[in-house]
Amino acid sequence: MIILHAGQYGGNLTLWGEVSWEGHVNSVSQPPRKKTSHADLHPFTAGIDDLLGALEEAVPGFKHGAKWICSMAAWLPTKRASPVPSNDIIYDLPKSRTKAKIVPWAVAGYRLSTEDAVNLLCVLMGKHIVAPGVLVGADLAYWADALRLAGSMVTRQQFLPSMTADSNSYRGAWIPIFVGKDAELFDKLARRMPAVGRALSEPDTVVPPKKSPIAVLGQILATLTDHLVRTAVYKASHSSIRRRRIFDSMHDLWLHSLISPDGLLETKQFNLPQLAANIHEWQLPVAALAGSPFRLCFRLEAPDDSKGDSGKSGRTWHISYLLQPHDDPSLLVPADEVWMNKAGRTSVLERKGPNAKEFLLLSLGQASGICPGIAASMDGANLTGHAVDTAGAYEFLTREATALEQAGYGVMLPSWWTGKGTKTRLAAKAIAKSPKMRGGGGNKLSLDTIVEFDWEVAIGDQKITLEELEELARIKSPLVKARGQWMEVNAAEINQAISFLKKRGGKKAAFRDILMMKLGAEGTTPSELNFDGISATGWIADVLDRLDAKSGFKDLKPPKGFSGTLRPYQLRGYSWLSFLQQWGLGGCLADDMGLGKTIQILALIQNYWQSGGRGTTLLVCPTSVMSNWQKEAARFTPGLPVMLHHGVARSKGASFKKAAAKHALVVSSYGLVQRDAKLFGQVQWSGVVLDEAQNIKNPNTKQAVSARSLKADYRFALTGTPVENNVGDLWSIMEFLNPSFLGTQGQFKRNFFVPIQAEHDPDATDRLRHATGPFILRRLKTDKSVISDLPEKMEMKVFCHLTEEQASMYTSVLKDVEDTMFEAEGIQRKGMILATLSKLKQVCNHPAQFLGDNSGTANRSGKLARLTEMLEEVLEVGEKALVFTQFVGMGNILKRHLQETFGREVLFLHGGVPKGKRDLMVERFQDGGRDGPQIFILSIKAGGTGLNLTAANHVFHFDRWWNPAVESQATDRAFRIGQKRNVQVRKLVCVGTLEEKIDEMIEHKRYVAENVIGTGESWLTKISNEDLRDVLSLSRKEAVRE
Amino acid sequence: MSYDYWYYTPSTPRAVKGGIKAQTRRGEFGKSWWAKRWIGILRDFNMGARFERGASYARRGQVISIDVQSGMVRAKVQGSSSRPYSVKIKVKTLGMPAWKKLATALFTRPVLAAGLLSGQMPEHIEDVFKDAGLSLFPAKSADLSTDCNCPDWSNPCKHIAAVYFLLGEEFDRDPFLIFKMRGTERKVLLGMVGLKPISVMEPASDAVTATTARHGSVSESSSSSYRNPDRLSPQPLPSEHAEFWGQVEPKDEWKDDGQSEFVSIPQIHAALPKRLGSFPFWRSEKTFISVMEDAYRNASPAGLDAFIGGLQSGDSKE
Repeated sequence: MIILHAGQYGGNLTLWGEVSWEGHVNSVSQPPRKKTSHADLHPFTAGIDDLLGALEEAVPGFKHGAKWICSMAAWLPTKRASPVPSNDIIYDLPKSRTKAKIVPWAVAGYRLSTEDAVNLLCVLMGKHIVAPGVLVGADLAYWADALRLAGSMVTRQQFLPSMTADSNSYRGAWIPIFVGKDAELFDKLARRMPAVGRALSEPDTVVPPKKSPIAVLGQILATLTDHLVRTAVYKASHSSIRRRRIFDSMHDLWLHSLISPDGLLETKQFNLPQLAANIHEWQLPVAALAGSPFRLCFRLEAPDDSKGDSGKSGRTWHISYLLQPHDDPSLLVPADEVWMNKAGRTSVLERKGPNAKEFLLLSLGQASGICPGIAASMDGANLTGHAVDTAGAYEFLTREATALEQAGYGVMLPSWWTGKGTKTRLAAKAIAKSPKMRGGGGNKLSLDTIVEFDWEVAIGDQKITLEELEELARIKSPLVKARGQWMEVNAAEINQAISFLKKRGGKKAAFRDILMMKLGAEGTTPSELNFDGISATGWIADVLDRLDAKSGFKDLKPPKGFSGTLRPYQLRGYSWLSFLQQWGLGGCLADDMGLGKTIQILALIQNYWQSGGRGTTLLVCPTSVMSNWQKEAARFTPGLPVMLHHGVARSKGASFKKAAAKHALVVSSYGLVQRDAKLFGQVQWSGVVLDEAQNIKNPNTKQAVSARSLKADYRFALTGTPVENNVGDLWSIMEFLNPSFLGTQGQFKRNFFVPIQAEHDPDATDRLRHATGPFILRRLKTDKSVISDLPEKMEMKVFCHLTEEQASMYTSVLKDVEDTMFEAEGIQRKGMILATLSKLKQVCNHPAQFLGDNSGTANRSGKLARLTEMLEEVLEVGEKALVFTQFVGMGNILKRHLQETFGREVLFLHGGVPKGKRDLMVERFQDGGRDGPQIFILSIKAGGTGLNLTAANHVFHFDRWWNPAVESQATDRAFRIGQKRNVQVRKLVCVGTLEEKIDEMIEHKRYVAENVIGTGESWLTKISNEDLRDVLSLSRKEAVRE
Repeated sequence: MSYDYWYYTPSTPRAVKGGIKAQTRRGEFGKSWWAKRWIGILRDFNMGARFERGASYARRGQVISIDVQSGMVRAKVQGSSSRPYSVKIKVKTLGMPAWKKLATALFTRPVLAAGLLSGQMPEHIEDVFKDAGLSLFPAKSADLSTDCNCPDWSNPCKHIAAVYFLLGEEFDRDPFLIFKMRGTERKVLLGMVGLKPISVMEPASDAVTATTARHGSVSESSSSSYRNPDRLSPQPLPSEHAEFWGQVEPKDEWKDDGQSEFVSIPQIHAALPKRLGSFPFWRSEKTFISVMEDAYRNASPAGLDAFIGGLQSGDSKE
């Protein structure tokens, strides 16, 4: 594991890292570094190979250059001659009360060119782990925030062409200009810079670096801004920029330096200091404003009706001028007071900075270029503001205010304007009439049913007729006060509404189009007017309402042949799925983990199959859950013919088609959907269901593309992660469910992604929620309607598979003992059985545990893969989990693997942990909230009793102690007094192995009369040889999924 | 047909590289009323064809340098001879008492003060001069004398005219140049009424930076902050853990870290440079503002990509 850090060094962001203890030991292959300075070698610093490896994994297409490699000193808090690691994951330094000292440590660094820095920071924005085992330090994450600020400055064009100088060269530069709000943002960002971002120095420096955060951030932002602008301009200028030596004028040279990659100004031809002075002079007016502690604000005040001033044209609005200190925005001093040098508040201003009066005049002078009313107002002797008529107010609201704000002035507008939604705007509404259902039932309603509809125009709830619109158009007042409320009546909009109504009379459309329009699907709503939904009657209204509310349809009965009980909310979910299925719409069931998505969809498939559909549904899932699907189908829908499509021996070509047609459900993996895309494409599926649908969230991956290309009558997606919260991921899943509904990917980016992500446009957020809401059903464990249906403790079995490697280990363990074990007697037999059980359990857990060789952990164990997936969902919703194992060795593997995967600290309590530390672990887990550790691994012997760990509401038994009493005692660490939530308990079982068979024995209470059970597993040594052979044997066909 | 014909030099002037180029490509020089008034003085001389030739000199960049001082403008203009001609425009200065009187009158009305502070010449300013019995522009021919060492005997010649035109453009940008010519500086004028000009740092003599923003400076030596000079003073590294290493903040807070400001591409491009106006004594063939417009238009989308984390999601090859 490596934690990446970055600080300012040599004008660049320079990357370095800490590696975990094990990682460090493993990296002995690196050449020993020479001690190049008085600083000692940092004991757990990442070597340059570690750094480059991490960069290559994190940044697609990254190529390193030798000249960027450097060695430097990092000045770090140090205790007892060891640097204090940034995170306990790296190295658990014994806690001590001594105060840390700042001491230099020699570390390897990689200087990031600005381009590399931008690429890296883009990749890690909002993440704390960029690749397995590659963690983002808080300082590196901080620089990503700096990039966001630079990006925002460039987007909003708050920068100027300029020129910089150092001791031996001049460069052209684009510099950010922080005015008003931006200056506050800058200060805020500087204040929270982690000190490690400015703790790097040359290897042999003897004084610790102490540049102020403002200087460091200023430099980095200037570099990033320059890079963003320069590369964009360079790209746009194609190849017309050539390296030149002779320029017609010094200004040509300057322009060239603003575009050329290195920005250097090299010349003996011109007087560069003169140029610099000219640039300075040119920028002075903006700089004067940027440097000021105040800003000028404009406040628009609506006419005061109490003065009896209600004539339509005679209304007088007022725009007042106020001076506001940046650091005390609540202090608004009228410009007049400043101008007249009134005592009192003016002197408060003067304390904040000199020149308040000059600043006021300068600002007003500049603003009058934007808003002509200001110039006229200053002609008199007072300076309170200026008056405008209604048309002038409208001009100010719609144009001048924006321009003033962009120029760095404050603007305060009435709330009815700023908070305006569609409520006070003209909007078009479609009126749909349901055709009579003709008797006889011969024509089933479907998406293709033809529907008549018409349009009307309204403001808010008030319908407006064509005549009224024409009257409004005659008045020509852009702002109208109606029902005590000002509202905008845009002349252009009115004319559009008039022509819209004239043009679009009664129409006919397929019900599908009405539905798409209702949801605001791309390209279906009027482009010239706001769209205010559909008003419908009859069955159309029914269908639309149900879709919206996800309720109102009667709960279906569980389908025939479904063995098991659906809880009330599961019945509702099943009914919702059936409703969508009936209308040929795709839906995403995103219930919280543990609420039973599997059985809801199985009920749907069962119903489809037995009610005469007889078509085949394809279910695509990660390999790690295939076994689970098979088991669950066998349990809940025993009548459904299920076929697994996996492995080398899977059927191909015509035989696949034939086999598939005979089954109700074909289960396959994402990998195979991609590999066997052609094969799957030849089948017309009744339905396609994607489990763990977050697997297709990136729309450009091959598996997403192949999933979208499947032909099916209905489509569903299942996921436990809150997809609806991630705008970027939504398109791909919706495109699978309801193709072209959200437009192309590009349209989606324009209409939703950029407005929501960058502009924080609440309208876009609403539109997207409105459009996608009906197709996503997500219930939380904590929902009132759900919680009453749930038992306080839910126990579930999770069926996992073995990898090929595990299976062959399993077989060879068996082979070794086969001959002797069954011959043995008495104590010897007992010992051998227990030893074999233990070995096989280890194989099921992880090959690395069995081998005890500290080898790699990824992709070698089906169980570990499944556990990791489930824990990811737990972490995603901010909950906590206990993981029990009976092996300390496995605990260590789990800890390492989970820490590297999630980049968070994972606790591990075993017998060797001293009491003090154990208490501390429990305390941190219980009281740490979301910031504390979220996963707690416990060895069942050390942690199975006594502790109170109610912060967790998930319990995983990674391996089994074949004794229900011991397991439930362990479970009770979380499920006990003080637990306020429902607890989900999962026992992981490898299919086709001893784990499954012993589990069955316990279930059927064979050998295990409750009273026989002590606390051990020794009952297992008492079973007959015949049973033993059966228990231990491996059903390879069932067990292996690869 | 006389000397005039004899001395008339119809040959094209020698080309100058990097001369001061008028930004007004066609039509009249000077946008502001005061620049127009200035050109008007020249027009009153009735110079005939020399007027237009002077304009084309200004547009072609024949003027190599202009230096405005109190009471005197000196310029070098390249004509057809090998060495550039020296042009002098002498302007009568107003004395200190006169300026003092003016200053008081100017700064009692906000419109005048604000205009002058922000680089505008208020329309009513001539009235203020008139009320004081003075005039902003040289009124009588005695107040103004021009001289050029070219062989053309007529005065003003086209070289002088070219300088006039360029000065007009400069007055557009900085009306205080008119005051300077007439004998006072902005600083002095403001000081007379107890106002301090808002100054940002002066360019340092050795390492010059043109960075003027409060923080955007690259060279630290120059970025003395007007607001609070301590802000840039060294800060020792803290040894406390959270302060040193920072805290990985939860995603939600990260999203809302003050940057929830509306970020979008402006409708009007290059508003900042436009607000500052054209660059003083611009010498390139390319029009400054249009080069800037192109640059800003291209920069915005790149900024947006960086702001939302680049192309990692929601991007496509349609």
